[in-house]
Amino acid sequence: MSASSIFIILVSSILVNNFVLSRFLGICPFLGVSKQVETAFGMGMAVTFVMALASLMTYMVHHFILVPRELEYLQTIAFILVIASLVQLVEMIIQKSSPTLYQSLGVYLPLITTNCAVLGLTILNIQMELSMIEAVIHAIGAAVGFSLAIVLFAAIREKLEYYNVPEPFKGFPIALIIASFMSLAFLGFTGLV
Amino acid sequence: MREVIKLGFILLLITSVAAVVLGVTNDATGPIIEQREQEEKERALKTLIPDASEFIAVDCSLLIDKEDIVEAYEGIKDGVVVGYAVKVNPSGYSGDINIIVGFASEGKTTGIIIGTHTETPGLGSRIKEDAFVQQFTDKKTEDMLVSVKGIVGQDNEIQAISGATVSSDAVIDGVNAAILLLSEILMNHSSGCSCCG
Amino acid sequence: MKFKELIRKGIVTENPVFIQLLGMCPVLAVTNTAENALGMGAATTAVLLGSNFVISLLRKFIPSKIRIPAFVVVIATFVTMVGMVMKAYFPALDAALGLFIPLIVVNCLILARAEAFASKNSVAKSIVDGIGMGIGFTVALVILGAVRELLGFGSIFGAVMTWSSFEPAMVMILPPGAFLALGMLLALYNKIASMNLKKQ
Repeated sequence: MSASSIFIILVSSILVNNFVLSRFLGICPFLGVSKQVETAFGMGMAVTFVMALASLMTYMVHHFILVPRELEYLQTIAFILVIASLVQLVEMIIQKSSPTLYQSLGVYLPLITTNCAVLGLTILNIQMELSMIEAVIHAIGAAVGFSLAIVLFAAIREKLEYYNVPEPFKGFPIALIIASFMSLAFLGFTGLV
Repeated sequence: MREVIKLGFILLLITSVAAVVLGVTNDATGPIIEQREQEEKERALKTLIPDASEFIAVDCSLLIDKEDIVEAYEGIKDGVVVGYAVKVNPSGYSGDINIIVGFASEGKTTGIIIGTHTETPGLGSRIKEDAFVQQFTDKKTEDMLVSVKGIVGQDNEIQAISGATVSSDAVIDGVNAAILLLSEILMNHSSGCSCCG
Repeated sequence: MKFKELIRKGIVTENPVFIQLLGMCPVLAVTNTAENALGMGAATTAVLLGSNFVISLLRKFIPSKIRIPAFVVVIATFVTMVGMVMKAYFPALDAALGLFIPLIVVNCLILARAEAFASKNSVAKSIVDGIGMGIGFTVALVILGAVRELLGFGSIFGAVMTWSSFEPAMVMILPPGAFLALGMLLALYNKIASMNLKKQ
C-alpha cells in the first residue's frame, strides 16, 4: 500500500469518477438537499461519516461472513441491512453523546439509508477488489467528491434565486441543466489517472 | 420486553424466508450462469486456436503476482501444443475489460476477443469494433505493442480509437501483459502440469 | 378507485419520474440507449410488482414499528432474484446495467409505493398500482433513452434514424447529456402542462 496508490484512489474517486456527476450515485440528496450551502455541507459531512463506517463494516461482513460460507449472492440484502442498522446506530449514539452534532447532522441521517451512493460505494469496493484500508480511503474520496459536488451545486443554486429564469425552467429543470454543465466540467478530468 | 421479542421474531421470520427463497433461486440460476460462461469461454478459445482439440489450463501457481492476468490455456492437438490463450482483465476507463488473447505456438498473436466491459457506450465501447480488434492479429511478440494516435508506421504499433484513448490503451496494456507472460513463462515450461481449481 | 384510474395515475398524472422525481439515479445513469432504458424499466417493474404483492399480502402481519426494515428485506430479496435471472438469461443487459441492478433496492420509488400504497391497500389494487407505476417509470426511461440515443448515436433501439450527414453529439450519451436531456424534457413537460391549463 504505497502513498501513490492512495493518491490515485483519492483523485479518481473525487474528480475523475465523481460519484454524483459521473457515476450518478446519490442524485436524490444532490437535487433535494442543495438549496443552501449550509445544509448541503451538513449532508456532505453526514454522508462522509456513514460512508467510511459502512465501508469498514461491509468489508468485514463480506470477507469474514459471506465469502467463507459461499453466500456472496446475499451481498445486496446483507449490505443494505448493515447500512440501515449502522445509520440507526449512529443516530442513536450522536443523539445521546452530542446534542449539538445531532442538531446539525441528525436530520440528514435517515435520508442516508436510501442514498444509493452508500450502497453503491460498498458494492464497488467489493467489485474493485480493494483491501480494507483502500476501501476506507475510497469511501473518504467518494464522500469528499459527493460533498464537493453538492456544495458547489448549492452555491450556484443560491445565486440562481436572484435571476429571472423562464417559467417552464423554474425549479428542477434549471437545476438539472446547471448539473449538466458541472458534469461537463468534471468530464475534463478524464484520463487524469 | 415481550414486544421486543415478538418484533425480533417477526423480522427473523421474514429474513429467514427471504434467505430460503434466495438460496433456491441461486441453486436454480447458478448452474445456468456457470454453463453459459463455460460455453462462451470454450467458443472463444476455439476461435483463437482453431487447430486445438482440447484446452488445458496452465498451472495457476505460475500466474500468481502477474498483473492483469486471469487464466492461461494451452491448446493441444495430438499431444502437441499448437497455441496458447491468455485471459487478461486490464482496467479501462470505468472498470475491468475482459480480453482473451490467442497465440500460435511459434509466438505470433492469432487475435483477441473482447468480452464483458463497462466502457462508455459509443466511445470506449468501440474497442469491440472490428477495425480496432483486427489490428491485434498476426503481431510478432518480440516487441511490446505501442499505442499511437494517427497513422500506424511500425509493425508493433496499434492505432488508438480517437476519443477513447484510455480504453484503447487499456486493451493494449492487457495484450502486452499476455505477451510478457507468453515469452517469460508459457514458451519455457514443459506442458501438462497440474492445475488448481 | 377504478383499476383503469390506477394505471392512468402511474403513467400520466403521478408519473414517478416526470411528476414525483423519484428514482433519479437509474433514470440518469442507464438511459444512454433506449434498449438499456427498457431493460432497467422492466427490471424495476418486476421488483415493484413483487414487492407490492408481498407487502400488501403481509400488511396485517408486519407491525408498523419494524415495517421499514421488513420492506427493505422484501425488496432486496426481489432485487437479488431479478439480478440472478438477468445474469442467467440476459448477460449482455446485465453487464450494461451493472451496478444499477443491485441499486434498485434503494430506488425511492419502490419503498415509496410500499409505504404509501401497498401497506394500506388490497393485494389486487397493489398489483395494479405496481403495474401502473412500473409502466410509468419505464415509459419515462425509454423516452429519455430514445432522445439521448437519437442525439448521441443517431439511432433508436439500434435502428439508424437520421440522414447520412447527421453528426451525432457524443456528449448526449455521456453524463452531462443525461442531466441536460432530463432538464429539457421536464421544462417541455411544464410548458405543455401550463399551456393546457391556459386552454381550460
